[in-house]
Parts: sequence; C-alpha cells; structure tokens
Amino acid sequence: MQLDFVNRELTIKLVYYGPALSGKTTNLQALHKAAEPGASGRLMTLETKDDRTLFFDLLPLTFRSQGSLAVRLKVFTVPGQVIHASTRRLVVQGADGIAFIADSRSNETQHNTDSFMDLRENLKQHGLTLKQMPLIIQFNKRDLPDVRSDAEIAELASKGREPVYLAVATRGAGVVESFIGLLHLTWSALDAEHDLNKKFGFDADAFLLQVAKKLGNPKPIPEILQACVGGALEVLRPEAG
Amino acid sequence: MIPPAATKTFDELTLGHGVSLEDLIDRDALGEMVKSFYDLFGVPLRIFSEEGRLLGDAADQIPLYTYLNTAKNGRALMHEVVSRVKNIALGDDGFASYQCTTGESYRVAAISYDGKRIGRMILGPFVPPNQAEPPAALLNLDSALEAPRLHELWQTMPHAEDDAVVKLARHLGRTLDLLLFSGHRALLTSNMHLASVRESFRELEDKNEKLQTAFDRLKELDRLKSNFLATVSHELRTPLTSIIGYSEMLVEGLAGDLTAEQRDFVQTIRDKGEQLLQLIKGLLDLSKLESGTMSLRKTQTDALSILRDVAQTMTPTARKKDVEIAVEVENGLPLIWADTERLRQVFLNLTENAIKFTPANGRVTLSAKLTSVEAARPEDAGGLVIMSARRTAIEFRVADTGIGIPEDERARVFDAFYQVDSSSTREQGGTGLGLSIVRRLVDGHDGNVRITDNQPKGTVFVVTIPVKRATIG
Repeated sequence: MQLDFVNRELTIKLVYYGPALSGKTTNLQALHKAAEPGASGRLMTLETKDDRTLFFDLLPLTFRSQGSLAVRLKVFTVPGQVIHASTRRLVVQGADGIAFIADSRSNETQHNTDSFMDLRENLKQHGLTLKQMPLIIQFNKRDLPDVRSDAEIAELASKGREPVYLAVATRGAGVVESFIGLLHLTWSALDAEHDLNKKFGFDADAFLLQVAKKLGNPKPIPEILQACVGGALEVLRPEAG
Repeated sequence: MIPPAATKTFDELTLGHGVSLEDLIDRDALGEMVKSFYDLFGVPLRIFSEEGRLLGDAADQIPLYTYLNTAKNGRALMHEVVSRVKNIALGDDGFASYQCTTGESYRVAAISYDGKRIGRMILGPFVPPNQAEPPAALLNLDSALEAPRLHELWQTMPHAEDDAVVKLARHLGRTLDLLLFSGHRALLTSNMHLASVRESFRELEDKNEKLQTAFDRLKELDRLKSNFLATVSHELRTPLTSIIGYSEMLVEGLAGDLTAEQRDFVQTIRDKGEQLLQLIKGLLDLSKLESGTMSLRKTQTDALSILRDVAQTMTPTARKKDVEIAVEVENGLPLIWADTERLRQVFLNLTENAIKFTPANGRVTLSAKLTSVEAARPEDAGGLVIMSARRTAIEFRVADTGIGIPEDERARVFDAFYQVDSSSTREQGGTGLGLSIVRRLVDGHDGNVRITDNQPKGTVFVVTIPVKRATIG
C-alpha cells in the first residue's frame, strides 16, 4: 500500500497468483471488460510468448470515495510457469492482497498445490506468512468436464480459512465476485492495521458498492460476498503489540 | 547511457509514483512529434515536464515577437507573457487559457498518465481568425514600434479558433497517452528483464555459497580423517614393531631353544605381524598422500630398470601361482623425471595385483613405450601454436590374463578400500588400499592411470608418466 497524503491518494496492490494456464490473465481481461470506462486504465500485458505471460499483466483501476480519497487499485498477475520463479517473487513483493486462481480440473490438483507452496515460499522470502496475507481462492474453469465437484470444493472450503469462489473467467462468471471478496478482505486488513476508515472518513461499504457497480454488478454487497462457497470473510485483527 | 528510470524500484514504476514524462518517452522522438503537429496545424507547441523542463519545442521564432523585443515595453510584455503562461494553474479538467492584453491567446493542457499529471503542453500564441488587425493595446504598446510594421507582422501570426486549439490539445493528449503507455510498457519490460536476471543471480549466489560451505566442511572432514589415519597408523606401528622384534628374537632362539611346534607358532605370529605392518604402512602412505605431506624425491630415472627390478622381485610369487611374468621394453627410451622408489612401489602394486587375479598358466606382461600426452595447461596460457600442447611421455602397461574388471567398476577401483568383489566370501584377499595409493603416486608424477581390456581376456593397467618436468603453468 502506498499513501499519498498530499494528494489524498491510496494505492493498493492486488496480485493474481496461481499455476500456469489457470486463468489469471483471463480474470484481469474479464475485469477490464466489465469495468466502466474511466474506472479502468489500459490493461498492460508485458512480454507474452504464445499467449503465455512472461512477466506480468497490470490492470489499473481508480475509484474516488465519498471522503474524496482516491483509491487506485493496481491488479497484477504473475507468470504461472515454474521457470519464472524469480519474476513471481518480484511481482508478489509488497502485495496487499492475493487472489489464488486454481484450475478446477481434477488432473490439475497437483499443479495447484505446487503453485500454492511456491506462493508460501515466496511470501516467506519477503518475511511474510500466508496467515498475514489477505487471500481468496478461486476455482476457475467450472465449465470444463472432469472438474472437481461443487460438493467436494464446498466441503473443503468450509474447513478452510480463505474465502473460496467458483468462476468461469472466460465468460466473466464469478470474476467480479472474487474481486470484491478480495478487495473487501484486503481493505479490512489495511484498515485494521492503519485505521484508514477513521483517518480519511472513509466509508468502506459505500466504496465497495461503488466498485461493484462500476464493475457492472449492481447487487448489494452482502449478496455479492455470499457468492463465496466457504472460508471466512472476516479479517484477523493484528495481535495486540 | 543508463535511462533515469533504470534505478527506480518495481513499486515506483508500477504503483505510479515514480514515473516521469522523461522516463516514458524519448526526448528526440517527442521533439519530432511536436514538430509534425506544428507543421500540420500551424499552432506553436511546447511540451514541459511537471518540473518545468522543456522537452519538446516546435515554434519558429515569431516575427512579431522578435520585433516587440526590440522595444523596452515590448520586452517587458514578452517577459510577463512567458512567465504567466509557464506557471498558469490548470483547472480540474486539466485545461487553462491565457489571453494577452495584446490580443494573442495561449492554451495550456495537462499531460496525464494513469491519472497523474506528469507534464503540460502549451499551445500558442495564436490569434482568432476573424481578427485581421492588431488590437489597439498592441499598437500603443511602445512609441518605438511602428504601426505599419506591426500591421504587417500581425498577418504572420498563427490564426486559429480557440475551440479548434482545445480539440487539437485533446487529440495530442490522446496520442501522447498511447506513446506514454508504450513507453511505460517498454520501460517495465526492460526493468523486469534486469530485475529477473538480478534475482536469478542472487538465487545462484545463495546456492553457491551454501555449496561452498558444504564443500569446505567436507574438505575439513577429509583432512581430519587423513590426520586421524596418520596418527592411528603411527600409534599402531610402535607396539607392532616390538611384537615383530620379540617374535624374531624368540625364533632365533635368543631366549632359549623352542620346540618345533613353538617355533611354528611364533613364526606365524611374526608373519601375521609383518602382514599387519604392511597394511598399516599402506594406510600411512595413503593418508600422507592425501594430506599432501608425502614428498616425492624425483630424479632422472630409467624406466627399464624399474620394470626389470619389479619383475625380478615378483618372480617367486608368480612362479608359486604358475603365472609367467615377462618384460617388454622399447629400445632407447629416455629417462623420466620420477621418484624411483615410489614408481617401483606403483609397479610392484600393479604386478602383485595382476598376479593375484591371474589363474594358473596365465601371463603377466610389463611393458613400456614412448608416447605423447596432452599437456595440462592453464586456460589463458595462450600461444598454443608455439607452446607444444603435447608432452612426451612413457606409457607403462601391466597386462594380465585374469578375470578382468567390469567397465562400470573401473573408475571406482582406485577409491580407497574399494573391492570389486566386496562379499565376505571373496576369493582374493587384500585391503583395497593398493590401487588408491597407485593412483595418488601417479598423480604426484603428473601422470595418469587408466584401465583397458586385454585381448582376449584380462586387464591392462596403463600408467603414463611425462618424460620431462612440467614447465607450463
């Protein structure tokens, strides 16, 4: 997070992580497509080879809160392929929240696990733990055959801590819901740490509502958050001291 | 030249606080673009960075202004206009306009990227197309300025509608935005390239350091092992010398006569003691060789006499096993630079080994001939054509007709304590020290030892020793 007191501007970094070809870039493309003009800048895709991300994608989104605080969301993807480990480490540095995009297909389960371990390792290198990081998990590609069943995911999700979402990013389904979940979680964590709501007279719920609306989802926020199939959307308050 | 953004961090470049107009766009290219806009629309155009540096300028000297500058009031006016236009505050929409008292207008527009103002463009001066005559304020500016001249120069001023200039500014803004986006993209790409390489390098350095630490530790352990072997061997030898000495004295009857049976027993003690002593000597040699404390006393040595001596020494052993032993040496071999005693030990070891693994009626041949080897030299020695890369050497061969050594075992037989047949029921005795000592001694002579097949069966140990001492490297 970067805070510019003079211009009353807050920049939040969100990172879409996950195994190769799980749909991270597709998520960003769907968000870009859903966003009202004016809210979203150009989607920047850095160095691709055969449609595979080599460095990262970057989608800038800007919203202005009622408290006249400008909130700039920088949404990144990491390259999923195993060989780009050092790039992933660079991109994930300084992330305020992470969306882990998993491939729902049964035979991709191992890749999901490997990538998640990789995420944990990279956070560790930056002195962070998964527990400290606002994190949502999205099971993408729900429309493909041979995916892990809804029941299986729901059962696992109910036991886990991270909010879990189902999505078909190619059709935009579940993409905004996942993003709102991530933003909600990230904002709550940042507010818990920096007391932003109070300092800037910021109305977090109104802000989320505005974001959702500008991303083409006019439903009330509690309804959007309910799309989550498991896990907890409450934020762990930092321990006293 | 390193672009200014090269030192900026990934966060500064992506989170939008550290990117400046100069970082994103090439100054010369910007100048060209500005020039082409001016050529096309005829409105003078300047581009400044947010800090006020002029980055692009397409405005010919305006004849009217040149003329105004010749008069005192004219100069003062010019001065004021420049400073007012340059520092004008922009509205929320990013635009501002400035109207001179003398009739010309300026339009100033913000250059924004990713929601941030990173520079401004100044369009003007221009005058409305319908104003054909200079305004009174201009005509009355200074008595030194002549009205006809002012009339004439007024006609050369760029004429444009304010609306059209605003449109032009917007269009220029959009064009610039695209250029800035591409510039940002290229900047991030090159920075990511650098950062990724740096990160991978750091990772490798880390791993190297860990490997080096592990390697140093192993080396230290190895040194400790060699020290331990040397100490233990020495400590074992001292009491053993007494055991052998006193047994000898008993056998020789110095402590009184022994019965035949007693003499037999004591003789066995003595023989086994000798055997044990040889083993310990071997261990000691090995540890000395490993710790580098054994020094070789090299002199000019005759290869033929060493082989003959070895054959002679081993003849009784060979005869006992019904193995024939032969020496074949080319005539006129040069002397080699070697430690005679240690080289003899090498061939005694190899020959003893050969006899041990050769069945009855077999044959062991010791031979030597002249050859040449690739000289070891440092990578950057240079002058390869001049410095002969080959050295003359003598190739010794100890060939047997024994059981042979399987291909995949050949590299390992030189390891200390290694036995091809390591089962407890193996037919052949031995400690497994001999060949490791052989290899270390040969190494000490800048030579090498390898194993090949003997036809139709058996093994050949090939030892190559350079004739002259190494002079290169």
